[in-house]
Amino acid sequence: MKRRVAGAIAAFVRRQPLGAVGGVLILVAVAVFAPQLAPHGPKETGFAPYLPPSAEFPMGTDQIGRDVLSRVVWGARLSLYVGLTSVLIGVTLGAVWGAVTAYVGGAPDSGSQRVVDSLMALPPIILALALMAALGQSVNNVVLALLLLLVPTAARTVRSVALAVKQFPFVEAATAAGCSHARVIVRHILPNCLATYIVLVTTNVSYAIVVEASLSFIGAGAPPDEPSWGGMLTAGTQAMENAPWLVLFPGVAISLAVFGLNLLGDAIRDLADPRLRGGLG
Amino acid sequence: MKTRALLIGLLCAALAIPVAVVAQDKPRHGGILNWFDYGDPGRLDVHAESPLVVQQATAGVYSGLLHWDPDDPSKIAGDLAERWTVSPDGKTYSFHLRKGVKWHDGQPFSSADVKATFDRILNPDFKSPKCGASLKPLVASVEAVDAHTVQFNLKAPVGYFTGAIASAWCRVAAKHILDKYGDLNRPEAQIGTGPFKFKKYDRGSVIEWEKNKDYFIPGVPYLDGVKQYILVGGPTQVAAAKAGRVHLWDAWPPMRKTQADEVKGARGEEVEVYRWPINTIFVLYMNSKRAPFDNPDMRKAVFLAIDRQELVAKALEGAGVPCAVLDPKLVGDFALPLDEVIKTPGCRQSKDADLAEAEKLVKKHHPNGIDVEIAVRQVGNYVDRAQLVIAQLRKVGIRGTLKTHESAAGYASFGKGDFQMIATQDRAMDGTDPGDVFHVVYHTNAGSNYAQLSDPKADDLIDRAAKETNKDRRKQLYHELQRYILTTGTTGAVPVGWVEGYFFRDKKVRNFKPGLTVYDGNTFMKVWLAQ
Repeated sequence: MKRRVAGAIAAFVRRQPLGAVGGVLILVAVAVFAPQLAPHGPKETGFAPYLPPSAEFPMGTDQIGRDVLSRVVWGARLSLYVGLTSVLIGVTLGAVWGAVTAYVGGAPDSGSQRVVDSLMALPPIILALALMAALGQSVNNVVLALLLLLVPTAARTVRSVALAVKQFPFVEAATAAGCSHARVIVRHILPNCLATYIVLVTTNVSYAIVVEASLSFIGAGAPPDEPSWGGMLTAGTQAMENAPWLVLFPGVAISLAVFGLNLLGDAIRDLADPRLRGGLG
Repeated sequence: MKTRALLIGLLCAALAIPVAVVAQDKPRHGGILNWFDYGDPGRLDVHAESPLVVQQATAGVYSGLLHWDPDDPSKIAGDLAERWTVSPDGKTYSFHLRKGVKWHDGQPFSSADVKATFDRILNPDFKSPKCGASLKPLVASVEAVDAHTVQFNLKAPVGYFTGAIASAWCRVAAKHILDKYGDLNRPEAQIGTGPFKFKKYDRGSVIEWEKNKDYFIPGVPYLDGVKQYILVGGPTQVAAAKAGRVHLWDAWPPMRKTQADEVKGARGEEVEVYRWPINTIFVLYMNSKRAPFDNPDMRKAVFLAIDRQELVAKALEGAGVPCAVLDPKLVGDFALPLDEVIKTPGCRQSKDADLAEAEKLVKKHHPNGIDVEIAVRQVGNYVDRAQLVIAQLRKVGIRGTLKTHESAAGYASFGKGDFQMIATQDRAMDGTDPGDVFHVVYHTNAGSNYAQLSDPKADDLIDRAAKETNKDRRKQLYHELQRYILTTGTTGAVPVGWVEGYFFRDKKVRNFKPGLTVYDGNTFMKVWLAQ
C-alpha cells in the first residue's frame, strides 16, 4: 500500500513538476498554521513602529509596532482558513445542488438554473461588498460572502458533468435494478463528478484568497486588527515610500500562495482530464 | 486673553510657523484654490452638526457676528457686527450691524436674521452640539433692538462670551431661508453673506464655492473660487498632496511625520511644511449608560489601562501632549503643570501598578475577562489608534472587537449612544478659552458628551469656572477640575492627549494664516494665489 502511494506521488511529480511545486508551496503555507512559527503575537504592539527588516524583525515592524513576519505567518492561517472553509463548503453545496437538479431534470432543474443565472449575473466583488455591508466585518462573514459567490458556479459546473453521467448505461442499469433516486445520486452520479469537484476545489481556493484579500484591502473584509494580507496591504499604503516592507511582504505572500494554488489546480485539472492525461500530441 | 495671545505668539515664534506669511507682493485676483475635506459631510447644517467637514464645506459661505481676525488669528474682530458694546454689569452685549449687507440671493440682511439664527440655536428643543452647547449655558435671550442692532442678554457675566460668539459654528443664517427650508442641510439652503457663494456639491466628490462679487468688504475675496475635493483616507490625501492637486493641508487630520516627509520629498521647495497644534484633544469614550461601562470600576479600569504615551508616540508619531486635560501651550497656566499631570494614575510610567489595579478591577466584576465592542470611525488613522487601544486593554482582560463606521454613520451612532466604547475621537475646540474642552467633552450638556455621564461635581466646577471673572480664582477652579478628572478616572472620557501635527502650504498660496482652532482661518477671504 505504502509503495503504491509513493509510486503515485512519484508519478505525479514526474508528470506534473509544476503542480508538485504548487503543492509544496501550499504545504509551506499549511505549515504556517503552526502558531509556533510566528515569533510574536500578530496583535502584539510592543515594538517601535516602522523598524526596517533586521535580524530581530526579518520583515520589519508596521505603523503601530507589530512584527510584520508574525502577521504574515498568521495571515497565511487566516487566508487558508477563509479559502479552504469557503471553498470546501461552497463547492460541496454547489456540487450537490448541481448533481441533484441535473438528475431530477425538468422544471425543478430549469427553475434552479434561473436562480444560478441570477446569482451569477451579479459582479462577484460587488455582491461580496454588498453582503459584507449588510452582515458586518468579520472573518466568518467573509466566508459567508464567498459561499454565495462559489455555490452557483460549482452548481452550474457539476450539473453539466452530472447531465452527461446521467446518460451512462450504468445509471440506467441502477435505476432498472430498483435503486432509489437518492442511492443513484449518491452512489453513481456524485462519485463520477468527483474529478470536476476536486478541480473546482483546488482552483477556487486561490480565488477565495484573492477575494478575501481584495475585500480586506478595501476595508470590507476581515476586521482591521485581524492579520489579513489584504488588510496589511491597505495599512502599508499609508507609508509605502518610507516603509516599503509593509506592502512588500504581504504582497509577496498573496502572490506565492495564489501562484502555488493555481499550479496545483492546473496540475490536478490536467490529471483529471482524460484528453490531457493521454498525452495529446 | 492677552496672556493667551502672547503665549500663542511665542508658540508660533518658537515653532517657526509661518503664522504671518507676509505678503511680499501685491494681492492678485483670480484663480481657484484647491483644498480637501477628509470625508463627505452629507448634511450641511452648520448649527446642527459637529463634524469638521460640515464646517469646512460651508466656512466661506457664511459670516458671523464676530470672527477671529483673518489678519491676526489671535484677535477677535467684527464680522457682520461693525462694533459691539458691553453693559457695565457685563450681562448685556449690543452688536451694531453693518448696513447694506446682502444675502447671496440678493435679499437684505438685518437684525431679524441674527435673532432668527440665535433663537434657533438657543431653542432647548434644537440639538446644536457646537454653537448651541456653548451658548445655551450663557445666553438668556436675544433681542432685535432695531434693524441694525441686536442685544444678547446673558444669564451671568462671562468673559469669554465674545470668543463663543466668534466661533466658526455660530454663523448667521438667513431668516427667509430658515423659514423656507426649515434647516440648512440642503445645498440650495446655503445662502450666506460670506466671501464665497455655495456653487456645487457632488456627493462624495467635490464641493465648490465661487466668489461673492457683492461681498460687504470691498476688494475681497481675491480668489475666483475654492474647490474642496472629498478625499477619504490618508493614502489618497497624501497622493493628492504629492501630485500638487491640493494647495494646502491645514485641517484635520494632520499629517504624521512620515507623511509630511513624503510630501516634502515629492514637492521639494514648492511647499512649506510646518508643525502646528490644532487645539484638538484625543479622547477615548466609554458609554456610561451601557454595560459594562455603566460600572464606575470598569471605567476606572480602562482609564488606568490606557497607555497615553504609547498612543501619542505611535499613533501621532510623537506629535502631541499625552495625558493633559488642558495643554499649557494653548491655555498657559490654566493647565495643570505637565510635571504634575504625568504623575497621575493612568499616566504615570511605568504602567505596572496601574495595569495591576486595572486587572484587579476587571476581575472583580468579570473573573474571566470580558468582550467589548470598540467602535471607531474610519477616518484619519483612527483604525490604527483603535488597534493600539485593543492591544492595551487586552492586558487587563478586556477583549475588544473592532466595529468600524463610515464617518457620518459613526457620528449618528455615537450621538444615539449606540456603542460600548469609542476607541478614539479627536474633539476640536471651538475657541481658545480654557473652559472649551469641558463644555465640549465633560459637561452633562456638552456637545460631545458621548459618555453620557452626568457628574454633578464636574458640572458644578465647570459652571463655576465659566462664570468666574477673577483670573486667579478661575485658574484654581480649572486646576481643581483637571485634578478631579485625572484622579477619579471615572468620567467616561479618557483624555489621551492633545493633538499636534504636520501641515503644508503650497508657496503659491499667499496671505494664509492658520487659525487657532481647526475651524478658523478657512474662509480664505484674504488669501490669494501667486502666478
